[in-house]
Amino acid sequence: MVVAGVIASAIGIVLALAIEWFPTVAATQTKKISTLYDVLLIASVPIFVLVVTVVVAAVIRFRMRPGQEDQDGPPIHGNTRLEVIWTVLPALLILGLCTYSYIVLEDIEKAPAAAQELRIGVHGEQFAWTFTYPEEVTGGEELTTTELVLPVDRSVRFSITTADVIHDFWVPDFAMKLDAVPGLTTHYRVTPTRLGTYPVVCAELCGLGHSVMRSRVRVVEQAEFERWLAEQSTPAVEEGAGPDEQVAAGKQIFASEGCGGCHTLADAGSGGQIGPNLDDVLKGVDEAKIREDIVDPDAQIAAGYGAGIMPSTYGQTLSDSELDALVAYLKEATK
Amino acid sequence: MEAAALPIHDHHGPPPANQSARVQPQVLGMLLFIISEVMVFGAFFTAYFFIRVVTGDSWPGEGDHLPKAIAGVNTAILLSSSLTMHWTVEATIKGNRAGMKAGIVTTFLLGVTFLFIQINEYVHVGFAPSDSAQASVFYGLTGLHGAHVFVGLLLLLFVLIRVFRGHFSPQAHRGLEVPGIYWHFVDVMWVIVYVTVYLL
Amino acid sequence: MSFRAPGFPRAGLGILVGVGLAYAIVCSVRALYGWDPVVDGDAVLQVALIAAPLGFLIGLGAFDYWFRWAIGAPTLPEDHSGHGARSWKDYFRVNTDHKVIGVQYMVTSFVFLGIGGMFAMLVRAELAQPGMQFVDPNAFNGLFSVHASVLIFLFIIPVFAGIANYVLPLMIGAPDMAFPRLNALSFWLLPVAGVMMLLSFLAPGGAFATGWTAYAPLSTEAPIGQVFFTIGVQFAGASSIATALNFLVTIVTMRAPGMSFFRMPLLVWANFATSLLVVIATPFVAASQFFVLLDRALGFNFFNAAKGGDVLMYQHVFWFYSHPAVYIMMLPGFGIISEIIAVKARKPIFGYRMMAFSLLAIVVLGFTVWAHHMFVSGMQEWIRVPMMITTAVIAVPTGIKIFSWLATLWRGVLHLDTPMLFALGFLTMFTLGGISGVTLAMVPFDIHVSDTYYIVAHIHYVLFGGSLFTIFAGVYYWFPKITGRMYDERLGRWHFWTTFVAFNCTFAPMHLIGIEGMPRRVADYAETFAGWNLFISIASFVVGLSTLIFVYNMVTSWRAGVRAPANPWRAMTLEWQVSSPPPIFNFDTIPTVVGGPYEYGVPGAVHGVFKDAEVKTTATPAGAAPAGD
Ligand code: HEA
Ligand code: HEA
Ligand code: HEC
Ligand code: CUA
Ligand SMILES: [Cu+2]
Repeated sequence: MVVAGVIASAIGIVLALAIEWFPTVAATQTKKISTLYDVLLIASVPIFVLVVTVVVAAVIRFRMRPGQEDQDGPPIHGNTRLEVIWTVLPALLILGLCTYSYIVLEDIEKAPAAAQELRIGVHGEQFAWTFTYPEEVTGGEELTTTELVLPVDRSVRFSITTADVIHDFWVPDFAMKLDAVPGLTTHYRVTPTRLGTYPVVCAELCGLGHSVMRSRVRVVEQAEFERWLAEQSTPAVEEGAGPDEQVAAGKQIFASEGCGGCHTLADAGSGGQIGPNLDDVLKGVDEAKIREDIVDPDAQIAAGYGAGIMPSTYGQTLSDSELDALVAYLKEATK
Repeated sequence: MEAAALPIHDHHGPPPANQSARVQPQVLGMLLFIISEVMVFGAFFTAYFFIRVVTGDSWPGEGDHLPKAIAGVNTAILLSSSLTMHWTVEATIKGNRAGMKAGIVTTFLLGVTFLFIQINEYVHVGFAPSDSAQASVFYGLTGLHGAHVFVGLLLLLFVLIRVFRGHFSPQAHRGLEVPGIYWHFVDVMWVIVYVTVYLL
Repeated sequence: MSFRAPGFPRAGLGILVGVGLAYAIVCSVRALYGWDPVVDGDAVLQVALIAAPLGFLIGLGAFDYWFRWAIGAPTLPEDHSGHGARSWKDYFRVNTDHKVIGVQYMVTSFVFLGIGGMFAMLVRAELAQPGMQFVDPNAFNGLFSVHASVLIFLFIIPVFAGIANYVLPLMIGAPDMAFPRLNALSFWLLPVAGVMMLLSFLAPGGAFATGWTAYAPLSTEAPIGQVFFTIGVQFAGASSIATALNFLVTIVTMRAPGMSFFRMPLLVWANFATSLLVVIATPFVAASQFFVLLDRALGFNFFNAAKGGDVLMYQHVFWFYSHPAVYIMMLPGFGIISEIIAVKARKPIFGYRMMAFSLLAIVVLGFTVWAHHMFVSGMQEWIRVPMMITTAVIAVPTGIKIFSWLATLWRGVLHLDTPMLFALGFLTMFTLGGISGVTLAMVPFDIHVSDTYYIVAHIHYVLFGGSLFTIFAGVYYWFPKITGRMYDERLGRWHFWTTFVAFNCTFAPMHLIGIEGMPRRVADYAETFAGWNLFISIASFVVGLSTLIFVYNMVTSWRAGVRAPANPWRAMTLEWQVSSPPPIFNFDTIPTVVGGPYEYGVPGAVHGVFKDAEVKTTATPAGAAPAGD
């Protein structure tokens, strides 16, 4: 049985480690946490295998055979040495794991040696994320966007706030998350190490749009980050752009702002169901009304929907020309 | 569903249960109930702790004043009702029916007075629970206690009715003693509420 | 039909009176404040949710005795008409017999398992594919919230109370519970709480949709359906406190002569430990919902950060109850498993005393770990590491239990019938769920997986593979005692194997998709998780179907199973020493306990004997209260 147990444990550990548990390892934090998980697997698989092996072995060796119907087992009441062993060994294992976890915890939360950390504000609101780059980062005015862009290999410290209920800012590929709590500003830091685009997820139930409260984070080279920052201060849509350019720009905005998460719009290929189907409701609606619906959604609530569901921040996060483009696009797409 | 098989010896009741502890079931039950009541207060004190200590705001809310003196008088009233409750039980044990009646009536009236003053205080305190979290906690804790006084008074009322109906004797007075325990608990709890909410 | 005698007609009247009272109260309070005394729908509903159930209970007759007691009227002399059930109708009355109440509890809570399970099926149907198919997001949130609330507050907790209600007095040699009328009230509070939670689907704005945890401020801002949870939990909580108190008093004061604490069966120990947890912890969940109700109904500011309220306070208060609650949902199961493994392995429980002490250790430790649910809540950071250590340390007393059961199996003569299969299934599946719990205790890992499907996997491994398996084991084990009939062994095995396999297929992959990044409580998810979710949904339907085997087995065996002998398992504990089903007053004479409960294999050993021992009785026998009571 012992041999079978050891072999089964070994196989179990190999299998468990062979599975790709984590999404991409896109930050130093992910690396450390996934190593911790590997250690936890190595520690726990043998325990599980031990229990299963004893159960199976007992079933095979000691199950009642014909003729034993009236027999009883030997009256063993206990064994102090065994009981001490199975109290002390798990206790030691637990202490070991806790110590290691403590070290990892310190490690993933400590500030970088050189204090040139990026500080970025993360703001949750039912049901959208906005990100604030303070003046010291942009070098100009404070910048508020709905897309998170980070330079690679540089520690970032997020300051997380909320406008309404509790949300939770999570980037699965960074393996870190923390609640946004009304009345508090909470913080955590990550160091992205891999270029790419990753999902941002709200991990705390925050109402009916909780499942669509997603966004994206783009990890880019430092140079591109700076270029992106510079671009943000120039309007995305040139003043006085032609109608076609406006519609094209508007389509992009519709996609990047995550409108499609809540609204169905055939032209944009989106199928969200939190808000009204724009293909139906916007037919024949004039531009001014569409604009008001976006900037101040609670001014007039579409029948059958609740107030306060559609974010009321687009008036601030989108520039006038962007709004024009978006409205022009919606008008065009639902004609 | 099929009825459980019932033997037909209808006229005999259950065999008397073995009594395996010296404590009486009713008393033990009341003590356990009081433990869970203490925990209800514990939860409200947790709220108090978070809102007063953890958030570190002023207490009571800015510009609010708590009538310490009146509440102090009220404390004295409630404490003396504990004494009269104790006398009621003593009198019962001694077989002093007049003392028992006087005791329970006084206890009841003292309790009513306390509740009356408390309500009066709410009317004049000058802030409402919707004003601030501090005000909410104030009303929460004192209101929770007030509700317990009310329940205690109901129990006392039952006892009072039964006293005047000639129940209880030096040998059998558990129905008086057990509500008495509850009443003492309500009083002790008030002292804690008073000290933490008004004095500290 | 009589509106004067206690019963359902009068209960219906009680509901109407309650609703009327709610209208009257709300309108007169508004008038008193000088507001326009128009009907304020939300306010009336909130008052009615409290008044109508009380009217129902009064009408049903749950309080009749106490009303007479309160006004000093002569209480009805006990004619024992409240004992035993003569027809199925007696199960729909306020009955004070612990055996009838036990059956009422079990059947009612299994109905709630069916309902809660059906909600899970709807959840899985929606999640089978990304995008929205069957329900809208609000309805989805309502479905999993009611699923969890019903299964926790109206299935797992009460079904354990029901099993213990039936067998515990028998096991300790008592004729009934200490407070039979309180016991009846405890039961009738349950349908009230359950119906209330289910009715929330009819509320304007839909069912409560904030999860079973109902975090503020989401719950203070949610539509009125939330109040059905807030108040329903109060009724369920009151029920569990009353039952726990009853168990504690019964165990302390009514044990048979000779039954010292260390001669009690471990099921009794387990319920003793659980009841301590309930009495101490449940008031906290009541308070947390009071806060929500006060914030909602009367404009209090406990959770209004703008006015100095503290949002995290809700979580601290809630988890101070709800972590112990997970042991409330597990320890009675530990008790059941101890009974079954000793009997079916034909050996004494290995390390009996450590089994009892580890229960108490879990009770104590259970109060020191609540913040492990709050590692990512933004609370003070220094709390995390101490809570990580206390949480992980609970693995030690739990491990003692697991290893002692394994040692009990070793060298026994294992009867591998349905109760035993479920017991062995529990041993392995709960170990897996417990170990995933220990990984969650490790803060850095929890930071990543908190609020993901990894948690959903943990929940179901401990609650389904843990608690529910013990419940199935216990129901099969005591079925002959309760009904006087044997269940169908072949169907029992089918039930076990289909459930065991489908359960693992449903919940094991959730670990993986959780770590990969699928958050919990979402109606819609990213395309990458589509494959696994389809697999999980299909497997979950098999779990649902496998439960039908169980229902079929129970119903047909109860109606037409083979007659059961008094002691089909050759068990030593006292409930098996009386007929199946037990006589109306449990025992003709109270047995005397002369040895331990699990002395299998010891030649000639007995646990209890029925001789006319001197029984120390209470001064007044159970029954009508004398004038001094
Ligand atoms: C029956 C119910 C039950 C039980 C018994 C447990 C038992 C445990 N639970 Fe679980 N838990 C839940 C029900 C339960 N839990 C629920 C419902 C939630 C989610 C709530 C929500 O948010 O909705 C939850 C969530 C939850 C969290 C929060 C996760 C999060 O939201 O981020 C954590 C974190 O520490 C945790 C830990 C544990 C631990 C350490 C145990 C331990 O008690 C387990 C101990 C047992 C063993 C370890 C196995 C046997 C032991 C051995 C064989 C010995 C050797 C073992 C080792 C040395 C490891 N649980
Ligand atoms: C005891 C507890 C318990 C039990 C038994 C179950 C059983 C099941 N649970 Fe549940 N679940 C929870 C407790 C439980 N769950 C909790 C606490 C949560 C967290 C909620 C939250 O986030 O707030 C949760 C959440 C939860 C989720 C996550 C929802 C989300 O986060 O979005 C999912 C998703 O798959 C799920 C699925 C299932 C499934 C498929 C079953 C199946 O095993 C169910 C199978 C059973 C049946 C289908 C019954 C069939 C019976 C009949 C058909 C017979 C009818 C009989 C009569 C009428 C007498 N559960
Ligand atoms: C979290 C969900 C959500 C997001 C994100 C969202 N909306 Fe909405 N939207 C709603 C809901 C719900 C309504 C209906 C209630 C209302 O009118 O406020 C609505 C209403 C509207 C209406 C008015 C429809 C009518 O019937 O008059 C327009 C136009 C609109 N949204 C456009 C947008 C655009 C453009 C974006 C992105 C920039 C967007 N929405 C993002 C949820 C959302
Ligand atoms: Cu925001 Cu979920
Ligand atoms: Cu917990």
